[in-house]
Amino acid sequence: MTINHHPPEDLLASFATGTLEEAERLVVAVHVAGCERCGRFVQAMEQLAGAALEDAAPAPMAADAFDAVMARIHEGPAEAVRPVPPRVIAEHPDLPEVLRRCRIGKRRRVAPGVSMQPIELPGAGKARAFLLQSAPGTRMLEHTHTGTELTCVLKGSFSHQGGRYGPGDFDYGDDNMDHRPVVGDEGPCLCLVAMTGDLRMNGFFGRLISPFIRL
Amino acid sequence: MMVDKRPKAKVEWADLIGRVASQGDREAFKSLFEHFAPRVKGFMLKAGCSADEAEEIAQETLITVWRKAGQFDPMTTGVAAWIFTIARNLRIDSVRRAARSGRSRQTSEPVDAADPADSADVMISRAEDASRVKAAIEQLSAEQSRVIRLSFIEERPHSEIADVLAIPLGTVKSRIRLAMNRLRDLLDEQR
Repeated sequence: MTINHHPPEDLLASFATGTLEEAERLVVAVHVAGCERCGRFVQAMEQLAGAALEDAAPAPMAADAFDAVMARIHEGPAEAVRPVPPRVIAEHPDLPEVLRRCRIGKRRRVAPGVSMQPIELPGAGKARAFLLQSAPGTRMLEHTHTGTELTCVLKGSFSHQGGRYGPGDFDYGDDNMDHRPVVGDEGPCLCLVAMTGDLRMNGFFGRLISPFIRL
Repeated sequence: MMVDKRPKAKVEWADLIGRVASQGDREAFKSLFEHFAPRVKGFMLKAGCSADEAEEIAQETLITVWRKAGQFDPMTTGVAAWIFTIARNLRIDSVRRAARSGRSRQTSEPVDAADPADSADVMISRAEDASRVKAAIEQLSAEQSRVIRLSFIEERPHSEIADVLAIPLGTVKSRIRLAMNRLRDLLDEQR
């Protein structure tokens, strides 16, 4: 897997420090899990954060904190083993590990040749995450964004003015983008997307159907 | 011989974690607790947590240090960075729990979430990567690592960064950009 498109550094930094929104964190995590280069960047940020932790001004702990911690250690772990939702695995047996542990909703058709499956995230904020599957050769509607759109390609490819995006590639779109991606002919394209704001379809047809898409 | 109350070198912190892992050494753990718990709490307070949240995250962090001591690998990461990632993940969980309890309209409780942050820890766990990362960080100028720390780790507003570094406000953004690009280049160079 050759990865040519990476997240901007500030996004990787926020990923490393844990300050991204859940949906965005998921998309960056999937890219980083497959990209050694970005993995090293994240690791560098973690080392810098460790140095900052070492220098942090100590805040006194509660008087009984150590005893409380020892008592909780001896109680043993309370967490149960996470069940893996079987439906998802049956449908996408080769999803990245991070995604296999998520609960994924029902697939629905959003446009000719295009379907989506929402990913249910417990702490989701403004951004939503979903899988987007498009048939080979699909020409997506020309669109702009009111917020940001983070995409990681899982299978297949698409191209737009920024280049060609294959498995592992990361695409960052914001409200300056006005693009019209075309899905590669080699097979269906499966992407993981995190989106804030709305997708605005340009043109008469787009305006007509966009109320029904509600991506 | 007495154990030094405050070991300075990372190796020694790593030794203490090793003793927790191999023997459940309570004294070693206490040294780790006394050093790191107040720092995690201080760090979380600065990050905007309430005093209760910061105390809870600090306690849970040290509980996790005890439980996962056997997974700590001194070849791939530093002790402080490892403890930082534990605290970071606990803070993410705490934000998640707060969001969940604020959304009672949800009909079914979602399965416990995946921890996206974990996967990064797993994939970059190779020792050769770790030495490359270390070398790159050492080559950053003091100002560059300071800029990155202020901006991304301490999340200070640009006006404060300008004050701390005594540079014009208008140049803060480009300094951050330059520092990030330099870190990327240093990491890429060492092939």
